This record gives sequence, structure tokens and C-alpha cells, in this order.
Amino acid sequence: MADIAFEQTTATASRTPGSRTSRRRLDRFDRGFAVLTQAAAIAVLLILAGVLFSLLRGSWLAFSTFGFGFLIDQSWNPVTDRYGAAAAIFGTVVTAVIAMVMAVPVGLGIAVFLTEICPYALRRPLGIAIELLAGIPSIIYGIWGLFVFAPFVQTRIEPALIATFGHLPVLSDVFAGPPYGIGVFTAGVILGIMVLPFVTSVSRDVFETVPPVLKEAAYGIGSTRWEVIRNVVIPYTRTGVVGGVMLGLGRALGETMAVTFVIGNAHKISASILAPGTTISASIANEFTEAVGDLYTSSLIALGLILFVITFVVLAFARLMLMRIDRRKGA
Amino acid sequence: MSAVVPSLPNLPVKVAIKNLSFFYGDTVALKKVSLPLYANSVTAFIGPSGCGKSTLLRVLNRMYDLYPRQRAEGEVLLDNVNILDPAQDLNALRSRVGMVFQKPTPFPMSIYDNIAFGIKLFERLPKSELDGRVEKALRGAALWNEVSGKLGASGLSLSGGQQQRLCIARTVAISPEVILLDEPCSALDPISTARVEELIDELKLQFTIVIVTHSMQQAARVSDRTAFMYLGELIEFDETKKVFTSPAKQQTQDYVTGRFG
Repeated sequence: MADIAFEQTTATASRTPGSRTSRRRLDRFDRGFAVLTQAAAIAVLLILAGVLFSLLRGSWLAFSTFGFGFLIDQSWNPVTDRYGAAAAIFGTVVTAVIAMVMAVPVGLGIAVFLTEICPYALRRPLGIAIELLAGIPSIIYGIWGLFVFAPFVQTRIEPALIATFGHLPVLSDVFAGPPYGIGVFTAGVILGIMVLPFVTSVSRDVFETVPPVLKEAAYGIGSTRWEVIRNVVIPYTRTGVVGGVMLGLGRALGETMAVTFVIGNAHKISASILAPGTTISASIANEFTEAVGDLYTSSLIALGLILFVITFVVLAFARLMLMRIDRRKGA
Repeated sequence: MSAVVPSLPNLPVKVAIKNLSFFYGDTVALKKVSLPLYANSVTAFIGPSGCGKSTLLRVLNRMYDLYPRQRAEGEVLLDNVNILDPAQDLNALRSRVGMVFQKPTPFPMSIYDNIAFGIKLFERLPKSELDGRVEKALRGAALWNEVSGKLGASGLSLSGGQQQRLCIARTVAISPEVILLDEPCSALDPISTARVEELIDELKLQFTIVIVTHSMQQAARVSDRTAFMYLGELIEFDETKKVFTSPAKQQTQDYVTGRFG
């Protein structure tokens, strides 16, 4: 990029020999600017590498003490100084899965509505409202979750779930009582609300990349709106939608504050999603200030490293998917 | 080139457009256009850009219904039934009036499914019969020999000309009565264009065909009748031979001889 700009300025310079000196100064300025922007870009990579390095160094003690077992051990005991990440990883994954189960169908539904069905006058206001949902600070979701949503879940939703699924095999374990109100389920639902705007806005954007003439062609052979969406819009945008879902997933995995408020912070793996649990980020937020001892601190940093790796992979995958649909749009 | 014989007027009128006006919001795009479209013949709409010929085509299958603030006034009678009636079932209408667009628009699915998709919208067929219909449609669009070995390949993997014939096959497959072609060759090379034009000649044996084209040579080659439009008005409508050799109006004369447009 910098090379091209450089060549262009020299070309201009040779055409106008009268102003050669000022041109040369511009050349220097050009190169200086190129170096500056390059430095900014490299800084990002350096910071990323730095974060990774500190995480690796900080977690070294925990990994060298517990080895691979750190990943599969669910005990988390500051008294005996024994730590394992399994409960936190489990909680992180389960809350994220619950969140996606709620957010993906609803988000796709909203996106379809906004792009295909909604009256034109309402499209922008509704779209903006959805995006504002993403702007609500997570601490607000946290206190709302703790004081408003959790009691509601405890008195209304969880008793109903237990009554409904309590007599079925397997499901009776997944929805086993008592209804605490705070727990993995509540955290998952709140995460679902939080990632909804991401799923919605990305899906809406990729739905809008479908060429109108392609939709017209589908309508033109007599398809109904549903058939057009099902057979043309969604297949055409499949990778982009997956990218949007992954972006939401990345957010759900890393979200801290709201989850810390409502998950119950119990380091154990329960079959029931109504029971309290914890996630990686919630554990770190809760315990970092009171972590005494090198091994305790190191274990928390190790949790952070694990989260870093998980979200990094998920987000990289999301970007890859979205890049693919951009390329097709450009073609 | 096309066999225009004076006996053409004996053919029944398939679509009768009567006093049709069309509006994009407050802009008038068509002004009281009236003309008949005869069965089993090709009618070409010609005229400079913005004259309303594509708009007129999009009224015939009510494609404009997808967009807000677009409306039509007047009557369009398909077999004596007014399709502008708000109670008209649009899916049924579009299964009777198929459309092929300027740019090829294969669906993001396999060649086979591109054809089968449309058929399956209206009929439940056993696999073997569906296979037969797909083959028949592809043969009908003169594409079978080129794709019979790779029906599972993506429709997007075909060349532009093949994609356009795939779209024609897809339209033919659901056995419409009228086929609307919106500058079907504007994105194609001369060889593909010739193929599509040959195809149009064959298709008119079964269908009523309307073609919008910017190429006057194409209109002269493929159509039986030509409608010349200008600024939303129908200036002249007659047998193609007459429009191109001895038009009644000076404007038409100027346009077909390339003096303006």
C-alpha cells in the first residue's frame, strides 16, 4: 500500500520538474505517515502478543503444578490449595449454549422481519432500537437480572419448568429443583438477551446482501415469502449468519458482570441447569481481589488464558465466515 | 427473419392491457397504455432507457407488489381476468406468468435443484417423475447436453450464457402460460445470445412471450409484434416488420433508424 502511494508521488514529481523540491518534501511526509500508520497496526499485534505472554507467564505455576488435570478437575478449594478449571469451563460453555439457543432463533426471526416483512417506515427505528440494546452496559443487565429477573424466574419460570419436565427421563435431571432463581439457567437467559442484538444486526446486514433480483426471481416463479427466505435468502447468506452467531457466541463466552450477578458462583458441575454454577470470567471477577497465595492467583490467570484461547478461536472462526460472504458480495 | 405472416391477427389475445398507468410514488411511469399480447407469439417492447418498458413488464406479474409506493391503475386482463385485482393470488399469477431477468439469477443451489425448486412449489411428484420434468425443462432450454453430467454442481458454476438458459429452463419448468423476458441477453456474448434467440423461437410454440430489449436488431429478429414506447407512453404498436420498415409515427422512425435514443 505504502509502496503504491510512493510510486504515484514520484511519477507526479517527474511530470512537474518545476516543483521538485516541494514534491520531495511531500514524499518524505508520505513515507513518514506510512511508517506511523504501520506502527499503529503493529502495536495492536504487539499488545496481543504481550497479553498472551503475560497470561502464559502468570499461569505457568498453575499449569506446572496441576498439569493437564487442571482442565478436567472440578475441585476449586483455596483452603487445600487445589484448583481445577472444569466447573468454570463447563459453566461457561453451558451458559453460552443456553444463550445461543435463545438468541439465534429470535435474532434470525427479527432479522427476517426487518429485511423482508416489516413496513419500510418501521425498519430504521426498529433496527436502531435493537442496536441500542447492545449499548446497555452489562452491569445494568446484572442488577436487573438480580433484582427483577431472578425473582421472576424463581417464582414463575423455574417451578413451571420443574413441573413440566420433572417426570421425564434425562430432562428431569436437567431441570431438577429447587428453584433458586439464580443459577446457570438465569445467567444463560440474560446472556441470550445480551447477544441478541449482535446476532440480529449481523444477520440483518448479511440478509441485505442478497441481490433484490435474486429474490424477485424466486418470487417470480411463485414462491411465497417463507419459501424465498427458506430457500434463497438463508442459503445465500449461510456463512454470514454463522459468522454473526459466532460473534454473539464470542460475546457470550466472555461476558462477565451480568453473569457474576446471577449465576450463584458455585464451583461445581451440576446436571441441573437450574443449579448455581460459575463461569470463567465470573470466577476471575469474584475472586481476584481475595486471591491470596501464588498458586491461587496463578490458577485464576490460567482460567483467563483458557478463556482467551476459547474466544480467540471462536472469533477467528466468525471473522473467517464473514470474510467469505464479503468476498462474494464484492465479486 | 421471424415468420411474420399477415395471418397472425387470428391468434387469440392472451393478455389485454387496458388504460394502464403506473406510479412510483408520485412519479408517473406509464400513461394510459393499452395493447394486446397475442398467444403463441413474441411481442417486443423497445424504447430508450426510462421509457417504461421494464415497468410495463413488471406489472404483468405484479412484481412491483414487493415494493412500497408503487401502484398501477387500469386493467390487465389475463384470459379475461383482471390480474390487478387486489384479491389476485400472486403466487398463482406468477406460476402462470414466468419471468427471466436481465442478469442471470441462479439460486444458490445445485443445477438440478434450481429447476426442481420451482416445480416442487406447486406439485408433489415422485422422484422419477421429477427427474423427467427437470430433464425436459433443461432440454427445452437447450442446456441438457451441457449439464446432464453435472446436475449436482452449483448453478453458480455455469457460464453466464448457461446460467441464463438455466433461468429460462427454471421458468419453463413450472409450465407458465406467459413468459416475460427482461433484456435477457444484455449480459451475454453473441454466441449465447444467438442460442437464447433460437430458444425464444421454439418457446413461442407453447407460450406467449414478451421481451424487453435494447437491441433493435434483436427485436427485429425474434419478435412478431413490436411496441415502441417513449416517456411512459405507447407510441406505436404493430407487426414488427411494419414498425421497422414503414412506421406510422415519425418518432418511431427516428428511433428505429438510430437517430435518437
